[in-house]
Amino acid sequence: MKKFLALLLTAVMVMSMVSFGAMADDAVITIDFYDDAANYHGIQTGWFAKVVKDRFNIELNIIAKQVAGEQIYATRAAEGNLGDILIMDKAEFANAIQAGLVKNIADKLPECANLQQFMAQIDSYNSQFEDGIIYGIPAEMTDTSPVTLTAELVGSQPQIRWDLYKAAGSPDVADVDGLLDLLAKIHEIHPTNDAGDPAYPFSLWPDWDNNDNMSGPANVVQLTTWYGQKLKNSAMLMPDNTFKKLTDRDVAYYKITKMINKANQMGLVDPESYEQGWNEVCAKISNGQVDMIWYNWEIGFWNSQERLDNGSAFQFIPVGDQAYYADADPFYGSARVWGVGSSVSDEKYDLIMKFLDWYASPEALVFQHNGIEGLNYTVGEDGKFIPYMDNALMDNLPVPEEFGGGGYQDGNNAINQWLCSSICTNPNTGETYDMKFWASYIAKNMTQMKSEWMEKFDARDAVDWMNKNGKLVASPSVSFSPASDDPDHEFIRKSINTELCKYTWQMFRAESDEAFEALWDEMVETLEGLGYEELYQYDCAKWQPEVDMKVEAAAAAK
Amino acid sequence: MTRSINPRKLRSYKEFLYVLPFLIIVALFSYFPLYGWIYAFHDYRPPFPISNETFVGLKWFSTLVNNPVRLKGVVRVLRNTFLMSGISLAFSWFPMVFAVFLNEIRNKPFKKFVQTVTTLPNFISWVLVYAVAFALFSTNGAVNSVLTGTGLIAKPISFLTETDGIYFKMWLWLTWKNAGWAAIMYLAAISGIDEQMIEAAKVDGATRMQIIWHITIPSLLPTYFVIVMLNLANFLSNGMEQYFVFQNAFTQDYVEVLDLYVYNIANSGPGMYPFATVISILKSVVSVVLLFVTNTASKLIRGEGFI
Repeated sequence: MKKFLALLLTAVMVMSMVSFGAMADDAVITIDFYDDAANYHGIQTGWFAKVVKDRFNIELNIIAKQVAGEQIYATRAAEGNLGDILIMDKAEFANAIQAGLVKNIADKLPECANLQQFMAQIDSYNSQFEDGIIYGIPAEMTDTSPVTLTAELVGSQPQIRWDLYKAAGSPDVADVDGLLDLLAKIHEIHPTNDAGDPAYPFSLWPDWDNNDNMSGPANVVQLTTWYGQKLKNSAMLMPDNTFKKLTDRDVAYYKITKMINKANQMGLVDPESYEQGWNEVCAKISNGQVDMIWYNWEIGFWNSQERLDNGSAFQFIPVGDQAYYADADPFYGSARVWGVGSSVSDEKYDLIMKFLDWYASPEALVFQHNGIEGLNYTVGEDGKFIPYMDNALMDNLPVPEEFGGGGYQDGNNAINQWLCSSICTNPNTGETYDMKFWASYIAKNMTQMKSEWMEKFDARDAVDWMNKNGKLVASPSVSFSPASDDPDHEFIRKSINTELCKYTWQMFRAESDEAFEALWDEMVETLEGLGYEELYQYDCAKWQPEVDMKVEAAAAAK
Repeated sequence: MTRSINPRKLRSYKEFLYVLPFLIIVALFSYFPLYGWIYAFHDYRPPFPISNETFVGLKWFSTLVNNPVRLKGVVRVLRNTFLMSGISLAFSWFPMVFAVFLNEIRNKPFKKFVQTVTTLPNFISWVLVYAVAFALFSTNGAVNSVLTGTGLIAKPISFLTETDGIYFKMWLWLTWKNAGWAAIMYLAAISGIDEQMIEAAKVDGATRMQIIWHITIPSLLPTYFVIVMLNLANFLSNGMEQYFVFQNAFTQDYVEVLDLYVYNIANSGPGMYPFATVISILKSVVSVVLLFVTNTASKLIRGEGFI
C-alpha cells in the first residue's frame, strides 16, 4: 500500500512538473503598471484583460498608490524599479526622472504611428529636457485646440433631478440660499426613493480629500468652481487671475463650507455623510437616494436612456450669482503623464511601446471610451455608433463569455487613465469617442425633458447656457509642469491639509452659525500657526507661471 | 607542540552557541531597525536616496518643539495615549475577575460556551470588528433602526462620530475583543491552585465568596502582577489598528494615539518620513524613561526591580 502511494505521489509530481514546463512555453508576460490613477490594485481581470491578452499576450499588474497607500511608492522607488509602465503626477514624474527611474523613449517613438499624431503635445511636454530626450507622454491629450471647450457640462455644476425640480415648481434660483430652499422643497417631496430608502440632497464622502493638487475636502474645493474660482494647492485662483488666500472669508471656500453647514442644519445632508465612502455614495446615486450631484461624470451612475425618456434624469440647474470655472479641452494633456520604467528589458520595452501605441489607436480608444460592440454600442448602417445598454457600467451587467465573461464593471479597464481624451475624433466614424456627441445619441436624447430644459433656459446645453449668459470662466490648456515641493514646504502642506480637512468636516456639522464661526476662526488660527502664510506665498509663486501661460494662450486665441 | 584545549573553555564556547541564535534574532529585529533612525536626520524624500547632501542634523527635531501648534498636536496625541493605556491599566483586573467567576460556573457545557464566545473575538481582526460596529451603530444601523422604529428617538444618532465618553467606549471595544483571551492565563493559574487548600476551607465552613477572596484571588496575584508589568512596558504601544478603524474627522482628536499618529504622518506624503521617524524616536525615549520609572518604583515597593 505504502509503495503504491509513493508511486502515485511521484507520478503526480512528475505530471505537474511537466505541465508547468508546458505552461512556461507560452507564458503570459506580466507588465507592472505603476498607476496613480487606478482605483484597483492587482491583476486586471475580465473583458479588458482578455482584450489585452488576445493582442499582446500580456497581463496587466496594476500597482495603485490610491489603494495600496503612499508607502508603495517609497518602497518601489528605493528598489529602483517603479514599474514597467508609469502613470504619474507631473511633479512626481520629474522627481522619478531625476532619480533615474524613467526611460528615454525617443528611439522607439517614431515607430508609433498612433502616438505620432500627438507629437506637438509630446514635444511640448518634453521640451523641458535636453534635446533628443523623450521621457513622458501627456495623459488625455486631445486633437482639438487649447482653447476649445468640447462639452455639454463643465467639470462641476449643480445638477438636480428634472422631475423633482419640476415638482418643486421649477423656480429660478438666484443664489445659494435659493438653491437650499429649492433643495429643502425637493427633500420634502422626495424624502425616500421608490424602495423606501431615505434620500437627501447632499451625500458627502471623504475619499478624495487633498487630491488633485487641492488642499481640503474634495466636496468643497470642487464646488468653489461654481464661483469661477480654482484652488491651486493652498492658493485660490480668482476669476481675474489673481490669487487669494483660502482662509479669506470672501473666498468661495468659506461660502461653500457655509452652504453645506446650512444644508446640514436644515436636515438636507445625509447623516451617513460622516461615515461613508465614495463607494456607498455611488451606490446611493444609482439607487436614487441623492437629489443633487456636482461632478459632470456622476450622471453616468443615473442618467440612463429610460430616465432621460421619463424625465427623471439629472440636469444642470443654473444658480443666478454663479459663474462656472471650466478647463478647456486638455489639448496638452492633463496633470498626469505616462512613461516607461528605466529597468525594463529590451524585449519588454519593445512590447510596451507597441502596447502604448495601440492604447492610442482607434480600436483601443473605442474599448476605453465606448466598451464592447454589441454590448455598449451597435454600429448603424452608416458606420456610425449607436448607444446600447447604457447601464452596463452602473449595473455591472454580465459580459458574454466570448468577450471574457464576468461583470462589465468588474472587468472594466482598471488603468483608469487614457492617452487620448474621449473628445478626440474616431477616424472610423467621424464622430468623437464621447457618446454624448454622437448623432444617434443626440437624436435619442431629444426627449421631452430635454426640450423642456431647452425652452426653460433658452440654451442647447449647460455650456451653451453659460456661454450665452457670460457665466463661463474658461481656462485654456497649457503645457505646464509644476515643480515638486521641497521637504520643508511639503511638510507644512501635509500638516495644513490634515487640519484643514478635519476642521472643514467638523464645520459641516456645526450645530449653529456661532459654532461654525468659532470653528472657522480656530481653523484659521491653527493653519496660520502651522505656516499657512509661507505656504501660500510658495504656492502663488509655484503656479504664477501657469497663470501667465494661460493668460497668454487666451489672448492669442482672440 | 600541541596545545591542549581547555575543556571548560570548550564547554563555554559550546554553550555560547546555544544562545547565539537568540542573540542574532535580537540584533536583527531589535537593534538593526534602529538604523532607520538615520532618516530623522535627513531631508529624505523618495525617490531620492539619502546622502551627505540631504543631512540636516536636528532640523526635524526642532520643528517639533519650535512650533507651538505642532507641539500642541503632539501633546494631544500623548494625552490620548496615556489616557487610553491608563484606562486599560486601571481595569486590568477585569479579565482576572472574569476568570474567577467563569471558574465558579458549575454547569460544564454552559461554562465552555461562555468561554468560547468570549475568546472568539480575539481572533477577529479590527477591520471586521469595525464592520460589526458599523452595522450596529451607524446612522443607518441596527440600533438606530430599532430606536427610530419604536419612536424612542426622532433622528438617528451618529454613534460613530460621537465623542462623549469616547475613551471608555474604546476601552469597551478592546475589552469585548480581549477579555476572554486574557482570562485564559488566569484560568490556567486557577487550575494550579492546590485543591487541598480549597477543601480545607470548605471543611472550615468558608462560603464561596470567602474562598474566592481568601484563596483564589491571592493565588492569582503573582500572575496578575507579571501581566501588569508587561502591560506597563507596552504603555505607549497601544497599537494602531483599533484607533485606525475608529478614527474619523470628529473622533480623530481623541483616538489618535502615538502609533496611529506616526502612521498617519508617514502616510500623508512621501516627504513625511523624517518627521514620522522623529515621533517614533520620541516614543522610544519616553518608553525607556517609563521603564526606569517603573523599575525604580518596583525597587522601592517590592524591594527588587525587574531589570
